[in-house]
Amino acid sequence: MTDERDAKHALPRALQQAGGMREGVPRRVAEEIGVPEAHAHGVGTFFHMLARPEARLRVCTGLSCRMAGGDRVLKAAQEAGMPVEGVSCLAGCDVAPAVLRERRVLPDVRAQDVEEAKGDWQALMSRGGLSEESWCGHVWPERPDAEGLALDLHGAIDLDGTALRRAEEIGPERVIAAIEESGLQGRGGAGFPAHIKWKGVRSQAETRRYVVLNADEGEPGTFKDRELLVRRPDRVIEGLVIAARAVGAEAIWLYLRGEFEVPWRVLEETLEAFRGAGLLDGLEFHLHAGQGAYICGEETALLEALEGKRGMPRHKPPFPTEVGLWGKPTLIHNVETIACVPGIVMRGGAWFRGLGREEPGSKLYCVSGHVARPGTYELPLGVTLDELVEKAGGYVGELFAFSPGGASSGFLPASERGRPLDFKSLSEAGTMLGSAGVVVLNDSYPLREAVLDQLRFFEAESCGQCAPCRIGTYFLRDALERRLSAEANQTDALRNVSEASWQMNEGSICGLGQAAPLPLTSALKHFPEEFGGPEAAS
Amino acid sequence: MSQQPRITLGGRALVFEPGETLLDVATRNGVEIPTLCHDPRLKPVGACRTCLVEIEGWQRLAPACATQAQAGMVVASENERIDRHRKSLLALYMTDHPQEEEPAKSGTPNQLLAMVTEFEAASDWGRLSQKRAGRPGDRNPYIHYDADSCILCARCTRYCDEIEGVSAIALAGRGSETTISTADELSLLDTTCEICGGCIDVCPTGAMAEKMPLVQEARPDLQLETVRTTCNYCGVGCQIDLNVDRAGEDGHGRIVKVTSPEPGTTTNDGNLCVKGRFAYEFVHHGDRLTTPLVRGKDGELHDASWEDALRIAADGLMGVRERHGADGLGFVSSSRCTGEENYLVQKVARAVFGTNNVHQCAAT
Ligand code: SF4
Ligand code: SF4
Ligand code: SF4
Ligand code: FES
Repeated sequence: MTDERDAKHALPRALQQAGGMREGVPRRVAEEIGVPEAHAHGVGTFFHMLARPEARLRVCTGLSCRMAGGDRVLKAAQEAGMPVEGVSCLAGCDVAPAVLRERRVLPDVRAQDVEEAKGDWQALMSRGGLSEESWCGHVWPERPDAEGLALDLHGAIDLDGTALRRAEEIGPERVIAAIEESGLQGRGGAGFPAHIKWKGVRSQAETRRYVVLNADEGEPGTFKDRELLVRRPDRVIEGLVIAARAVGAEAIWLYLRGEFEVPWRVLEETLEAFRGAGLLDGLEFHLHAGQGAYICGEETALLEALEGKRGMPRHKPPFPTEVGLWGKPTLIHNVETIACVPGIVMRGGAWFRGLGREEPGSKLYCVSGHVARPGTYELPLGVTLDELVEKAGGYVGELFAFSPGGASSGFLPASERGRPLDFKSLSEAGTMLGSAGVVVLNDSYPLREAVLDQLRFFEAESCGQCAPCRIGTYFLRDALERRLSAEANQTDALRNVSEASWQMNEGSICGLGQAAPLPLTSALKHFPEEFGGPEAAS
Repeated sequence: MSQQPRITLGGRALVFEPGETLLDVATRNGVEIPTLCHDPRLKPVGACRTCLVEIEGWQRLAPACATQAQAGMVVASENERIDRHRKSLLALYMTDHPQEEEPAKSGTPNQLLAMVTEFEAASDWGRLSQKRAGRPGDRNPYIHYDADSCILCARCTRYCDEIEGVSAIALAGRGSETTISTADELSLLDTTCEICGGCIDVCPTGAMAEKMPLVQEARPDLQLETVRTTCNYCGVGCQIDLNVDRAGEDGHGRIVKVTSPEPGTTTNDGNLCVKGRFAYEFVHHGDRLTTPLVRGKDGELHDASWEDALRIAADGLMGVRERHGADGLGFVSSSRCTGEENYLVQKVARAVFGTNNVHQCAAT
């Protein structure tokens, strides 16, 4: 059997429940689930929360958290003898530095908080004023805006299923027509027109179809999905249900970051409420906890992980709309994309389209780093950095560089501050909107360090499947580290970096390897003086 | 005009069967495309990236091994972009691979190194320290995993899954620490592994290698001669290639290792079992019988001719029948016997001696 009745998909969770990769665990779990022992080992060692169960605290080493002193927190915890390790972005860049205590993200942790815990990791708490139970970051607009916005993060949670009823009234064809008219582009990073996917799935001959929610938010600089899940779970669930009914799917799989303990709970409660109101009839919901791997935000890696395997991306084509989860047609969307759907159904495609500038819709921008009020800002798609940062209370210090869309987008110089932050305009500048995780840097944090942070991130998160990325991410990080080391004889350390980067972009299977050189290549292009002049990388 | 769909490859219009990959079509038509992770018996993974080709209208290069041919595709397997791709890919591989020119200890040619030479790729991009964990403590006597020269093509693990159905080994870890491992990093002896050695056979770099001392000691430049023969361990009749060092054993020749003929050429399709692949040392063993022996009145064994030996055995058996009846005899044949030989054994038992006491040791 190759669908959800195949017990294998429960493997990651079973490994988690058995306490992670301690000796004997993969063998025992393999027997319970009925998979080969070596496969259980392969899966368990792939996901970092399973692979290293001894670490109870994980300090974010993402760029924004490092800028906010994450290093000091990590060091303090190590010195206090706590079971701690550094970890890739925790989607808490706005409340940096973020720390993961078991599966709970603690916002705004200071070295002082660590000291006060007196060596007891369980006692670690954030004293920054945010409650760890229901913490939310700062969002814009600061009050409900029922008329003007697609996501309306401050809006009241609506459990009446108004959009669901509307979708039922107008029927699947008109729902899809509205999505098409809205011009909604995937908000996960690729910007692919949503209606093409919907039509693709709906037109398949195979009738077993799936809708999958990608809530594995992990792109450094990005935390909007976390905010949406906690504040507007109704929009997310309504969007999923509308999508499932429109494409003819009966099973909905939610892949939630395992670190999202609070959003998970909120989502489950909301699902219960919808179910109680009879709004989910005929639909199965399955919740899957990610176990710590950035690459599972890549849609086909996510599908592999949902099936209980190592999260290694598949080749495309075929695309998931044809061959997706368990080989069946699958509609997969990022949280923000799916949360735009109820608004479109209620107010129409033209309304949504009108919310943007050159490109359709309003958009959640995450902004962190050197700005006064890091947070999630819902603004017309296509605002400029200056406009965004103005809403965020202005720059802290002098703008030096910024990263427009997560680690994968590299860095742009301050002179690009007036460029519209949308898919097309940024791709013309050789970068991308990606997940719209904007990180702002002044000159107090050396850009070279920022580049190195991003390279370390990609090296840690490469799935390791294909050589260009597996070796290339390591090669680039090593080259830059040698270049930045004090030793004078390392002046030619960047010698083959541009050719290696070309190779990674051409040769890698998925977007991770293709984009991984960008932090370095963009910085070499825009800020050659940071690396010893333009000839350094020739 | 034929209705069969075609692709254009390197300017030639080539027909294909539905389901064929670009690599299949290329190979059938003598167009060479380099591969490392490909094995025709295994589901393609497109992981090594050596076979990337350019398809008109596709923004990205595509793996020939994992891309199905579609009517009208215009494919290039040689051009500047592909050449640059191969060179830079191989150069990157070399930063993470032992650079020694000689073949790996297994005596198997290292296909990666050969490719670096063929495509004149750089091997001077520096050397990264290798982060893959091996299993140095694995006490199994036959299979060694040299993590340093592993390129993570996953042929061994896919072979173990898809051909052997054993799944003793798997990709483990992530990123540059990805390696090939067993559950809890156990010795292969403590896993489901059947020591078929197929993982050695499919490995393109010699990272999966034999521990057998003869192979280890064989000089790398040794010119081994392959002698095709039939494995005599059982009735399946696998074809095996004895890899012989002609100069060994004082010129009598020495079997250094046993390999399987190419997949697709013999009934065993590239596969062997532990006995056929590893249990060849008996051939040169000092205790091996080279002539029949008969126990004399003095209680010692003495050389004899086949005629004498068979006669004495027959007399002994007939004597038992006379003294104790036919059912005083029982016949057990060796698992090395073929079906035909087993037929003859029961024929001897039933027709010659008149008993149904006959068994074959592999029958249980
Ligand atoms: S590019 Fe990197 S992350 Fe993507 S498949 Fe290759 S190794 Fe994995
Ligand atoms: S010897 Fe055979 S069973 Fe054992 S690991 Fe190798 S391929 Fe798998
Ligand atoms: S051991 Fe050999 S066959 Fe297995 S992954 Fe490494 S290089 Fe490939
Ligand atoms: S042979 Fe095609 S990618 Fe390895």
